[in-house]
Amino acid sequence: MSDTITIRVKCFSHVKQALKKDELALSIPKGSSTDVVINAVLDMAGGKLNAIKMRVAVNHSYEPEPIMLKEGDEVALIPPVQGG
Amino acid sequence: MNISCKELEHMQKSGDSIIVIDTREKELIENYPLKNLKSGSTILEKLEPENIKDETVLVCQFGILTQQWIEANDLDHVHNLIGGAQAWNEFQKSRRDLSRYSRQMALTEIGPEGQEKLLSSKVAIVGMGGLGCPAAQYLTAAGVGYLSLIDGDEVDITNLQRQPLYSSADVGLKKTDAATEVLSPLNPDVHIKSVPEFISEDNAVRLLAESDIIIDATDRFTARQILDAHSKQFGIPLVYGGLFQFEGQVSVFNLNGGPSYADVFPENSEEGGTCADAGVTGMLPGIIGNIQALEAVKILLGIEPNLSGTLLIYNGLTHNSEKVSLS
Repeated sequence: MSDTITIRVKCFSHVKQALKKDELALSIPKGSSTDVVINAVLDMAGGKLNAIKMRVAVNHSYEPEPIMLKEGDEVALIPPVQGG
Repeated sequence: MNISCKELEHMQKSGDSIIVIDTREKELIENYPLKNLKSGSTILEKLEPENIKDETVLVCQFGILTQQWIEANDLDHVHNLIGGAQAWNEFQKSRRDLSRYSRQMALTEIGPEGQEKLLSSKVAIVGMGGLGCPAAQYLTAAGVGYLSLIDGDEVDITNLQRQPLYSSADVGLKKTDAATEVLSPLNPDVHIKSVPEFISEDNAVRLLAESDIIIDATDRFTARQILDAHSKQFGIPLVYGGLFQFEGQVSVFNLNGGPSYADVFPENSEEGGTCADAGVTGMLPGIIGNIQALEAVKILLGIEPNLSGTLLIYNGLTHNSEKVSLS
């Protein structure tokens, strides 16, 4: 059995701008929480997202605290936006 | 001399050179304005009997104080409006041609009862930029009776590409004044109040407490947080809209104990992301501001479902929408 799971990351606003992608697939160790995804994305952005306090939704449901992920989950990274 | 509402309307329509003076206190005039009647305002105590011209009509709330004042000063040539502002606005209501709303009243969710409800509803639109302009324009057309436009900003030439209520000639004017000039003739059933102030902790209670709904069309986190806190405190639903480049967010906060903005976005982001920093087309705020206006009308009329407990994220490039459950 594999020790990793693959999840889908959906990128919004600043995340999309920094990674230049709407979404990506990510392999992470089994038993990882949403924090692992956030840290991976922060690394990929090379510091561009360090000041962004992004919010997380898993499978279209907002998750204010880190939660454990499973194979195939969809993680949306949603920064606050202030334009109006 | 007493005159009826019908006689005043006749004088008004026949082009007679009448002068109408609203003698009520400023607060009453603001909260209960005379509909479709141009008037000056001076309180009774400051009126000088000897300077009142012929064909002047005095208006108070019920037509009693002005009648007494006219009799006490023996001014036969001055008119008192029977029943005052109360009677005039009731008269205007009975005169109102609801056929302009027939297409939306045809919807079973709205109908004539819903339209009457909209006509008596009060909405505060905070921020008269990219989101506030379309929201204000469509709520005016829909016949939301009382709109309060709140923004201390002035029209800048860089606004014109996405805030089409304003023209080149408006550059330098207060946005709320320029918007009121455009919106007032659009629908005489709607009273538009121009409030050229930035929302702050100091003025939020005064500017928001009377509203049935607050529309968050601001472009700063601090303003959004002030609106959210007061919306929650007063139990007034907040229709939130936010933009970033080709993406827009909409949700309804603090509706019947539903999630608040602070529940979803509890911290300030340090990054910029205003329209000036990030860039924005004109059409995206047009779409998002209209979704906010639609949510406002639905909430005023109790039409479900709405975006309470849901964050809608609209992508203007792909036209995909993401709905995130916040409950």
